[in-house]
Amino acid sequence: MTMKVHKVSSWSQHEQRNTTKRHGKNKWRKKIHSLDSTLLSTSVGTANLEQLIPKREKPTLKLLKKLYTKPIPENSCAEERKVMATSVTFAHVHTNGGTELDDRNSSVDSQEWSEYAKCVLQNGMESSTLPKTNQMEEDGLHFHAHFDHTHNRAVLVMKQGQVLCFRGKCLLTCLYGHVEVLGFTIEEGQQPYPLFSPPSHCPLTITALGNNAPSGKNKKEGLLEAKAIVRKYLSSEPSKKLMSELDSDSCVVLLEPLDTPLTRFLTSFSELSEIFGLNSKELKSQAAVYNPVLSAVGVTALRGPCAQGLVMSRSYREAISSLLSAWAGEFDRCPIILVCGGKSSGKSTFNRHLINSLLNHTVSVEYLECDLGQTEFTPPGCLSLSTVTEPLLGPPFTHLRDPEHMVYYGQADCQADIDRYLESLKSIWRHVNGESPVIINTMGWIRGHGFQILVDLIRLFSVTHVVQLSFGNAPQCQLLTPDFLRTAHGWQTHPPTPPTLTEEPVSHLSIRSHVFLSVQSEFEGAGTSGEMQHQRSNELRDLALLSYFSKLQSPEPGPIRPLHCFIPYQVPHSAVAIGVTHCEVAPNNILYVSNASIVGLCCLSEKVVGREGPVVLSQTPICQCVGLGVLRGVDMARGLYFLVTPVSPSVLRHVNCLLLGEITLPKILLTKQHGVEGDLPYVTTDYSFEVQGAGKLHIYKGLARPGFIKSTN
Amino acid sequence: MKKKTVGKTRHVVAWMNKAEYEHVLEYLFSKEPALQKHALHRISAWKGRFGQSTPVAVDSTADLVRCQVLDSTGQLEANDLVLLYGMALVRFVNLITERQQKRVARPLRRLAGNINIPEWVVNLRHDLTHRRLPSLKWCRKGCGFVLDWLHQEYWSRQMGSQLTEDWNSSSEEEDEEEFAKRHEEEQLRRQKEIEAHKKVRELLISYEREQFQTYEELAKQRGVWPDASADLSWILTQIKHFATEARDVLIDVLMQDGFLIPTAEQLESLDIDPSEDSVDMFAPCLPQVFLHFWLPCLKVLNSSIFINLILDKLFAELSNEPSSHRTYYIASWISEILLCNSKSELKAHKRLKISKERIFMNRLQFPWQNLISTCVNAPCPATPFLLRQILSDMDKPLPHDAQQNLLRLCSIYTQGYHENTSPGPSDPTQPVYTLQNLQDRLKSNTHSSNHAPRSVQAPPTEDLQEKLSAETVQERNFALRGSAWSVCTDKVPWKQYPLGKVPGQPEDPSCLMVECYSTFTVFDQQVELDQLPQHHGNRSGPLQSRAGGADGPLWTHSDLSKLKAGLQLF
Repeated sequence: MTMKVHKVSSWSQHEQRNTTKRHGKNKWRKKIHSLDSTLLSTSVGTANLEQLIPKREKPTLKLLKKLYTKPIPENSCAEERKVMATSVTFAHVHTNGGTELDDRNSSVDSQEWSEYAKCVLQNGMESSTLPKTNQMEEDGLHFHAHFDHTHNRAVLVMKQGQVLCFRGKCLLTCLYGHVEVLGFTIEEGQQPYPLFSPPSHCPLTITALGNNAPSGKNKKEGLLEAKAIVRKYLSSEPSKKLMSELDSDSCVVLLEPLDTPLTRFLTSFSELSEIFGLNSKELKSQAAVYNPVLSAVGVTALRGPCAQGLVMSRSYREAISSLLSAWAGEFDRCPIILVCGGKSSGKSTFNRHLINSLLNHTVSVEYLECDLGQTEFTPPGCLSLSTVTEPLLGPPFTHLRDPEHMVYYGQADCQADIDRYLESLKSIWRHVNGESPVIINTMGWIRGHGFQILVDLIRLFSVTHVVQLSFGNAPQCQLLTPDFLRTAHGWQTHPPTPPTLTEEPVSHLSIRSHVFLSVQSEFEGAGTSGEMQHQRSNELRDLALLSYFSKLQSPEPGPIRPLHCFIPYQVPHSAVAIGVTHCEVAPNNILYVSNASIVGLCCLSEKVVGREGPVVLSQTPICQCVGLGVLRGVDMARGLYFLVTPVSPSVLRHVNCLLLGEITLPKILLTKQHGVEGDLPYVTTDYSFEVQGAGKLHIYKGLARPGFIKSTN
Repeated sequence: MKKKTVGKTRHVVAWMNKAEYEHVLEYLFSKEPALQKHALHRISAWKGRFGQSTPVAVDSTADLVRCQVLDSTGQLEANDLVLLYGMALVRFVNLITERQQKRVARPLRRLAGNINIPEWVVNLRHDLTHRRLPSLKWCRKGCGFVLDWLHQEYWSRQMGSQLTEDWNSSSEEEDEEEFAKRHEEEQLRRQKEIEAHKKVRELLISYEREQFQTYEELAKQRGVWPDASADLSWILTQIKHFATEARDVLIDVLMQDGFLIPTAEQLESLDIDPSEDSVDMFAPCLPQVFLHFWLPCLKVLNSSIFINLILDKLFAELSNEPSSHRTYYIASWISEILLCNSKSELKAHKRLKISKERIFMNRLQFPWQNLISTCVNAPCPATPFLLRQILSDMDKPLPHDAQQNLLRLCSIYTQGYHENTSPGPSDPTQPVYTLQNLQDRLKSNTHSSNHAPRSVQAPPTEDLQEKLSAETVQERNFALRGSAWSVCTDKVPWKQYPLGKVPGQPEDPSCLMVECYSTFTVFDQQVELDQLPQHHGNRSGPLQSRAGGADGPLWTHSDLSKLKAGLQLF
């Protein structure tokens, strides 16, 4: 039952080595150089199309400016050891162990704020559940902010260690000191970062880390500087209260309302008008802290048990810090990290946290998406490789971006064609540049063939670190330890034949094994899929698609255009191949599936020349996909497809294949089409679910046989 | 054909319209293999659209019809056919009863009995799965029966054919997810509303506190009302912000005692005599101070929608026969709003108003007809007074004698007005003598009531159509040069064409059938060798669209053979 992180003992040395290394310039220079070289190697033709697609951004100011050491790993390690020394039995208390652990923390630490800050550092949210006095609680929840009417923005002063757990969205700039959001440290002088905290996911927290810049300034100078900054950003004189709150350890952040085509598009649907509000649980427990200044910039602070934010278990923090140290130079090659775990075990959040933490130390992280259902950067149904240079401060649907390379699989799970799934991933893997850490996100399908696929992925991609998340008392599947992998069979790969004693031991050593990190998820509701509004997986997929198509909206504020109002692109039937990935469709009916459907815009290396009429693919090819589009109509007389897509025309020109999948248009895009007179195609109010057989295939997972009824509820 | 009324849920289906559904229904049960096959191919496309949410009945029907079609070719042996029929039948019985399963498995026989599937069909399934395979004869019989059952229970009842009267009952079969979702949304909405009410009350109270303070200072200095202080304008922005997201809630709260309807206590602190003797119930007029008290707030809220809504709300409150104090203030506010909107202020009121003292400046369009009927439907002592204001402000005034008659009737009614009389039929715009009069009036009423709110609520659709400048089009086409793609430059008002429809597209369910196509094979991409594309030129027979398949098969022999040749591919 106890799952230990490997190599716990060797931490302290690593940490020290890291700190020294981090200050060495080599690493940064190397990274930036490598990025430049990829920028230079622009090439023409479809084969290298991926170079043109992503808008590569220059490495941010942040890393060059960074002066201080990030204290999180060190602190947490120290704290860890302390806790371990006092009580080992607490090590793996399940689900609600967090609070008990806190008791211990608070007894070890003094109750002073400075200590509190450290405690927050190692675990932002657990700390807010500490059994502090009410006064403390109230104090922590009182946010000193001033709203500037002329510029429509707010300046928020946070004490060192203060935590703001919130719902909503805003643009955050750090003006003084530094703050942490989901593992990412933002300090003064950095660009503004958009934060999204919709009710679909665990709320974001802004943690004030204070100001530990190693400059020789004394407290008074710091205070004066902070005051000057506050004044600079406010057009009217700020209240005395605000100024009196300020001290040299405070953090000052600027919060601005965030209004993007995405937010405008989403909130234009009445069903999604509350997508940046509170969820039903938070409303019921009246978790909102009323603060007019914060609400004016679109932020609702939370209190009480709903303000937990990200709950990090001990093993979680250990895994993060050991992965950070792996990047800092312990390994002779770039770490390739595979994150796996059952559904709702917190993979996606762990990944975001890990990426953000890595981005404190490196300019970019590569991310291989192997989860078809809950994709991080692309619409669902896509397998992709992304280069991440910006922190992820919100759920996936708020940061969709163009990947380096993508393949459209067409379904939200891979059970139908595991071989095509693995081949697609292999074809994507060729685009990994190997200069940055790679994070591989996997599906929540961890039984049977799903587990075999995990074994394959570890072998195929020579994974160096496997993070396995589990919850509850028993692990959800076999642990993917190096030992286990020596004998495990995958779907495609098989264990190497055991070396006989006579063979030289070199061959045995050449099989590189990985580091195994087990993480116990302890957040409330781990392992149970979200049941509240916007939390269900199909709703999240729809949100991702809406987010993708929101890129069609003009960046300037204006009317929100429904999809059918855009001027489409056109292409002759004979110039693009068309195929269905998920079922067999009679070729002469191909247009009946494709009309008003989502298509993957793909590039075949072969030229497509049809004679007359559509060019129907006989099987599903594995090819690059540059984005999705909606086949908004078919002109039968002239033989044209009409397509609406946010993909830029310079990329669209390479598209010669349209793949249809089971990823369907969000229903509201079909049912709400303003300005149309007459009936909407594919939409009816006359379909009755009361008729026998009208529903979809229904699977009862927990169907009990009469002889086996248990007396539990 | 299709009626869209509010309250009916819009479902997304795989058929473009009802015609396509009926087309497939007809062909499926035509007993003519060629037509059945045609329908099966369309269903293959439907399954592509539906994905995992293909209705069980559609799936089962397709499987069973497929068996019949294969049987009719005469190319399969009896044993082959038993296997085919067997699978289709087993799947049908299992899937159709699955919905009725609860937590504990129940015998299929009982479940099937509930939905009029006879025991022998269930037994047939049992034989197929656990015992000796039944004979082909039994399989054919079972298939025939089940198809009839599906025809009756699903196909002819679906799409509003026979069920129109049952529409309002809540559908139990609708996806549980959907249902749970809606339920939750409802709860969430209610919770939000409560929250919003609380928030608005807090906001308005802080507004009042601020204004009372200003008033007290004012009273000392005997000055004019100053411009909004910083604190006040902050509150006002908040209120304004709130009004955009929860207008109804704001209006509800404003209408409560202690806000737009002052309490006696509030009046006293504003130095207004709260006693009823001091006011003229027949010509209500807001005390200046009280109006000033609320002006800043109402000014930030003055949008035509808001004013219209608040007017509606005021009248609605008035018709609830409130206390005379409430009545007076409600009537005063109505009068004040009408006054602000009046064509000529001098005519409407003797008091000269400078712009600062008005809630809003620009004349608004009220739904006049409606206003008259709501006014007379909420009778109070001040009704003639209000009615006169309305009548004189109307854009298209009623004929003079109609106005006079109306006012007279109204005065007669309200002079003897007592608290306990019910409003009764009181829309005396025109006397009702004949049935014709009544119908006319109903027509005009429904017309105006349907029309007015729509003009307010209808989303602006004029500028939804994307317009690309010539440069943008050129730019895009330049980027696309050398490829088969281009920006569509047809002059098409795309906003009128929903997704899936293009100009000139016929309603005919066969309009998207492909007459000829080519197949394209991409060789395994993992093989790193150069591959040559392969094309199979393939012309399938032209599939004509049938006008009415009811007259029996109209295919010629050559049509059929072409059809078959084309369909072999699949």
